[in-house]
Amino acid sequence: MEKDNQKIEEFFYRNNKQVNNPIIKSFLSDSKNLYLVQKAILYPTDRNKKLVDESFQSHYKNVRKIKYVSNLIYFFSLDFDKKRRRLQNRTLLILDKGLSEEGGTTAKEQIEDASNEKEFENIVGERLLDNIEDEQLLKSLQKLTVKQLQILEMIYVKELSIKEIAQILQTTPQNISNLHRKALNKLNNTLRKKEE
Amino acid sequence: MANFGNQHSEEALTIIENFIPKIKHCLHNTDYQEREDLEQEIKLKIIEKLATVEFQDAPSFWDYFY
Repeated sequence: MEKDNQKIEEFFYRNNKQVNNPIIKSFLSDSKNLYLVQKAILYPTDRNKKLVDESFQSHYKNVRKIKYVSNLIYFFSLDFDKKRRRLQNRTLLILDKGLSEEGGTTAKEQIEDASNEKEFENIVGERLLDNIEDEQLLKSLQKLTVKQLQILEMIYVKELSIKEIAQILQTTPQNISNLHRKALNKLNNTLRKKEE
Repeated sequence: MANFGNQHSEEALTIIENFIPKIKHCLHNTDYQEREDLEQEIKLKIIEKLATVEFQDAPSFWDYFY
């Protein structure tokens, strides 16, 4: 047994350089392969050597494939983008053309989209309560008075200023500010209570 | 892809699965509208190449040693 170990060690020592070759190293890191190699060193019959070779060749091919695929993915993604750009530049829409010679801004970017904001409002709804996803927050909001809710809605959904709101509700800005603060405090309290 | 055996497709599948992080990373090489397309194209290409490319025969293990 000790003699065997010595033999194996000697073999690896003699071939130190090859063992450090990445492909050999990764091959030997699999204990199954290492076992095959050791067997072939101790009993260098044709059959044992062949077993090692078969395993090694499939390992080698696998490494090749992985390397190939890795490169393929990278370069294919670059080519794909190049091709896409070329096609896009060939059939450029008027709106996508640059305004000046150097490009930079395109005509498309100059168009203001007025419909966008409206669409957004349609999606989320105009009411404050329609916009709440959090259930706890919704429940706490429903506990507020109608006026408080109204003020919160105008501040946070319609984004009006305190002054504008005061005009609409025909009261003073100070009053609005007070009601706003009270509403927030109440929300804060109810939410905290629930957390406990 | 007439001679596309079962063993081949399974192998391609495992390789693709192992490479998904790399594929996702490479998607950043193109516009975000094109990424889904690119992902599909890459996977298709891998399958195609693994089936058609003849990988060089490996050298014998014992060629390395003496």
